[in-house]
Amino acid sequence: MKGSIGTFLATLLVALFTWPCSAAPVVPGLSNKHPLSDSQKGELLLGELRCIACHGRKGAPAPLEKIAPDLSDVGSRVAPDYLRRFIASPSASHSGTTMPDLLTAETVDQRTKIANAITHFLVAGSPRKFQYEAIEEVSEGKALFHSVGCIACHSPRDETGKEVTREGVVDLGHVTAKYSPLSLGDFLFQPLSVRLSGRMPDMKLTRGEAKAIASYLLRKADKKFAPLQTRDELVTFGKKYYQQFNCAACHKLRDIPAAAVVGDLQDANLERGCLAKTPGKAPHFNFSNDQIKAIRIALAKRPDPISDQTQLATTLTAFNCIACHVRDKFGGVAEERNLLFQSDAKNFGDDARIPPPLTLVGAKLQPVALKKVLFDADSVRPYMFTRMPQYGEPNLRHLPELFSRLDKVEEVKFSMPNSESPNKKERERAQEMREAGRKLLGNTSLNCVICHNFNGKTPQYNGVELLTTTQRLQPSWFYHYLCSPNTFRPRTVMPTAWPDGQAVDKTVLNGDTHRQIEAIWYFLSLGTSAPNPSGVENIETKLFVTDATRTYRGRSSVAGYRGIAVGFPEKLSYAFNAETGTLSAIWRGDFVRVDRGGQGSGGFHPASKHVALAQDVSFYTLENEKTPWPLRPVMNKDQRENPDPLYPKNRGYQFKGYYMDDASIPTFMYRSGEIEIEDRSTAETGSEKGRLLRNLMFNAPKAQSIWFRALTGKVEVESKQQFKNSELRLSIPPTQALVRPTSTDKSVSELLLKLEIPQGKSKLSFTYELLK
Amino acid sequence: MNYSNSYSCKLLWLLAAWTLSLSTAKAEEVGSRWGTEEREREYYPIVNIPIPQNLVIEAGAFCVLPDGRVAVGTRHGEIYLVSGIDKKRPTPTYHLYATGLDEIFGLAYKDGAFYVTQSCELTKVTDTKKNGKADRFETISDAWGYANYHEYAFGSKFDEKGNLHVALGLSNSYDSFALFRGFIMKVTPDGKTQALASGLRSPGGIGYNEHGALFYVESQGPWNCSCSLRAVTPGSFQGHPASSNWYKYAPEMGQVPTMPKSGSRIVIEKERVKQLVPYAVIFPYIRMGRSITGFVVDRTKGKFGPFEDQIFVGDYTLSIIMRATTEQVNGVWQGACYPFREGLSTGILNLTFTPEGNLLSGGTNRGWPVRGIKPFALERLEWNGKIPFEIIRINIEPNGFKIAFTKPVDAATGNDPKSYQISTFTHPYHGGYGGPEIEQTTPIVKTAKISEDGMSATLVLDKLIRGHVYDFDLGKLRARDKDTLLHRKAYYTVNEVPAAK
Repeated sequence: MKGSIGTFLATLLVALFTWPCSAAPVVPGLSNKHPLSDSQKGELLLGELRCIACHGRKGAPAPLEKIAPDLSDVGSRVAPDYLRRFIASPSASHSGTTMPDLLTAETVDQRTKIANAITHFLVAGSPRKFQYEAIEEVSEGKALFHSVGCIACHSPRDETGKEVTREGVVDLGHVTAKYSPLSLGDFLFQPLSVRLSGRMPDMKLTRGEAKAIASYLLRKADKKFAPLQTRDELVTFGKKYYQQFNCAACHKLRDIPAAAVVGDLQDANLERGCLAKTPGKAPHFNFSNDQIKAIRIALAKRPDPISDQTQLATTLTAFNCIACHVRDKFGGVAEERNLLFQSDAKNFGDDARIPPPLTLVGAKLQPVALKKVLFDADSVRPYMFTRMPQYGEPNLRHLPELFSRLDKVEEVKFSMPNSESPNKKERERAQEMREAGRKLLGNTSLNCVICHNFNGKTPQYNGVELLTTTQRLQPSWFYHYLCSPNTFRPRTVMPTAWPDGQAVDKTVLNGDTHRQIEAIWYFLSLGTSAPNPSGVENIETKLFVTDATRTYRGRSSVAGYRGIAVGFPEKLSYAFNAETGTLSAIWRGDFVRVDRGGQGSGGFHPASKHVALAQDVSFYTLENEKTPWPLRPVMNKDQRENPDPLYPKNRGYQFKGYYMDDASIPTFMYRSGEIEIEDRSTAETGSEKGRLLRNLMFNAPKAQSIWFRALTGKVEVESKQQFKNSELRLSIPPTQALVRPTSTDKSVSELLLKLEIPQGKSKLSFTYELLK
Repeated sequence: MNYSNSYSCKLLWLLAAWTLSLSTAKAEEVGSRWGTEEREREYYPIVNIPIPQNLVIEAGAFCVLPDGRVAVGTRHGEIYLVSGIDKKRPTPTYHLYATGLDEIFGLAYKDGAFYVTQSCELTKVTDTKKNGKADRFETISDAWGYANYHEYAFGSKFDEKGNLHVALGLSNSYDSFALFRGFIMKVTPDGKTQALASGLRSPGGIGYNEHGALFYVESQGPWNCSCSLRAVTPGSFQGHPASSNWYKYAPEMGQVPTMPKSGSRIVIEKERVKQLVPYAVIFPYIRMGRSITGFVVDRTKGKFGPFEDQIFVGDYTLSIIMRATTEQVNGVWQGACYPFREGLSTGILNLTFTPEGNLLSGGTNRGWPVRGIKPFALERLEWNGKIPFEIIRINIEPNGFKIAFTKPVDAATGNDPKSYQISTFTHPYHGGYGGPEIEQTTPIVKTAKISEDGMSATLVLDKLIRGHVYDFDLGKLRARDKDTLLHRKAYYTVNEVPAAK
């Protein structure tokens, strides 16, 4: 404890000594190309520096105020040593901080004492304690820091981790002393939960990404953090000081009241107090001359009602929107940071990497779409690495309305047809527009789909999803934009299909520009049911088997609706018809293709050439050798209703499911009559031919015989235990075998095996060998 | 798909069906919006639940586990156990529990096992090795046919006696080619399967209403001019006669229902067809959904706002969520539906309330027209504590209706009958696909009286017509704090009128 106080004093002395060199409070937006006059700048500073928290200002509209950080759990977030130093001398600990020095009038000793007590008070009141936990530096951290948008307000760093920009950015030199990797990661994950002001926005980081950036920023951190044992008497003093210095005016904390506001800034002497050259007892903000000048100009005149223009300009500057976005003649990415804005769609040029302009954005976006981007973390440009931050809805609630009041384009009306109208002409118009819209988007006309996603499908590039159009954009803006993309986005790669209002494709709707754009709007309003324009194809999904056996259920032409496909890592697969208890197909090569496009219910089909087997029930007790095999009911165009709906349950069969072993190989369970059957097949390894080994395990309450229909086709007898048809060889255990023509087609035969099943458990093995 | 003997024949057939379905796939308009999304988000913001990039989660069924995780069954036949859905800033973990199942539209959980309704059967799924991966899939019931393209199966949760219910869609919109398609089957705790009801067309979900009675969701189509919530009583006939051919396999269902007359009215036919149960809540087509789906009752004890013990139901096409309330009058179920939230990102297939009382929705947008453009999504609706001015519920009275509100209504508008614009319509009951709203009337609101606390209004109408949907537009009402209704519309289906007390 003593040691740390000693170190602290030494640091403080150094800090005080270097104090005059530390920077004035930084409002990053003001270092960018902002639209504010000096007076407006002064107004902005009054809000960013919270002058109104202590001072009255009669007749002034409420400024946009930067809410100070929530200190209720600061003891877990910030290292106690840092907290002490920062309170004693904010600007010396964090160059450019907006926190004023409140202890200027105190002696060095007294400062130390007060800062220490307040620290004890804050730490004691925090539910959780500060913990240091070292983490490995994660390599993505550096790339994330430089790509997602942190560098809009903070300095990029060189190879050694040194910040390269000094002016106008929020310095991060202090974070190594302030945070642990754990607490910085938590903070970056949800910054708005402690800094309600939104000036440090939520960058939509995942927990992992937040941790990675924390690990990058803290890689040079001093890892010796001393835990603070709070002392009751210091805590009591700390609380007293917290009140005495009116910390609660900005940092609301539990039940501690803020002092009443003093005086009226409008009548104040602007040469004294906080604005004095050498502030006495007043809080010391370390203002630059430029800042003092702006505040004095703002306060020298009577406050005006805030115009929409001014409020918008102030908001975009306070939140530094202008670091990334252009609006009218201000804002935009600064030259020295330009190349840090990147994307993975290089072909789209700057549109893909530089955030879109905000000029006319209120006329461009539907109000609800704008709110989704601002408040609900929506994003529509998957290729852009820079993220649209979230500033917290309470902070920007006024912004969408402002945009919408200020931004206007000439109104264009689309006449949407009613495809379900009783009027035939109207229905035909709908049809015509639908076809025209589809044609225009496709690769036989304007080929919009070559760059843009359509219904989640990416023909070549990954451009903004076309089906978002009618939900995001306003029709009038859409019309003007399509007619002249360059007017809205200079140098955009989006081509003009209606140069000077003249349609390039004259074949559609007589080349009428208005009707063509209207048709595109209508077609896109159909949503996901809009059929694919030419050039967009549905994706077929192929399932693969890697290191473990894979089991997949679904309807299939090779296994019936209750089909199951089993694929082995040995590149052998089979299909099982669970409705009849039948091994119904075998194939080598890739596993299955599944139908998951459109209405597809995930039905499967072998991904390579397969050998099909019969799908009728496999086990049955024949009365005698002449009894025909009980075949599946046949449904076709003329007989669509199942004539034997209980088949094969009425032949004694019931499927009971399956279980997996450690290698995920399934064993099917079913019953035939009173015999319980377990059916497990494996792929024989090391064989060039595909060989499937099938083990049937029986459990019978008494000894009995049952017939097994093992093979159909042109069955040849090779030996007593070996049979084949044109595609498959089957090896069987010694048992009675009967080859006879099938009951429906005499040119095809069936191999029936009479299995003698003893009482209790028994097992028989079969081998299926693919011949081709 | 049929089962002819030659494989090549089958393949040709399959290809033909495929091409056919592509060429006839018709773009449909999804209807206009309520236009209330912007205001809705002031009270019920939507939080996207991020899904890792390599996963496709087309949620078809949800089940909240005792440990607080949410199990999600998908159209791809997978079950994910998801933790962290309720976190303020969710970055949930997805644990893959089971794979290889066939389109999951029902998920219940009991004693460590899942009871999964997949298209082919009801399956008990367990992890016997306790390694977090399901390894045993036992068939509990497959006592129905499954052989045609459109045959979806929807499963309920357990009822208080431990039964599960499975609603089986027809083979297509018009026919029942396979056993019990168009039936609801009850599966008892000892594994027995019984037929419970017939006459379904294309169910979209099955469960229990706010009073614990079994209900299912029916889709617009033949014999259904709008989507509806329908009450399922044993032996009931739900109106689409295609499934009557299977009664010989279900003696427990009793007599085959008399064939309803196409073009008649439901109130007339239910006198002729004694098993016929009328639509309990009609969702006027397009204005209130085009294909309503899974529903859930708010049992959050107020965590989700002022709509406790009400039904929340999603819609696939319009990517919206609506509310419904039901009551039994003269032994017949009926009730009302209300707009609730639009602007979800994908077609909603199912809903559940999370342990923290948020409403989780999920689904997909492929195959049919859907307004939300995401191919799949999980989204959480949460109540932010602000009370919107809404109609809580409408109940029928002998001479009119009682309407409850979330906030006190001012007396000037509340006691003025002109603030209550009511019109009615009925649908033909017919075999055609969908159908118009007909026989419109405009009832006279004789008196309107606001209760002392302003929280409800009692309306006396000149008459109440059985079989009509009462379309309420209360846009002229103002709350005492001058607020306007967030949703001015509500629709009450009158099957029965209570006797005067």
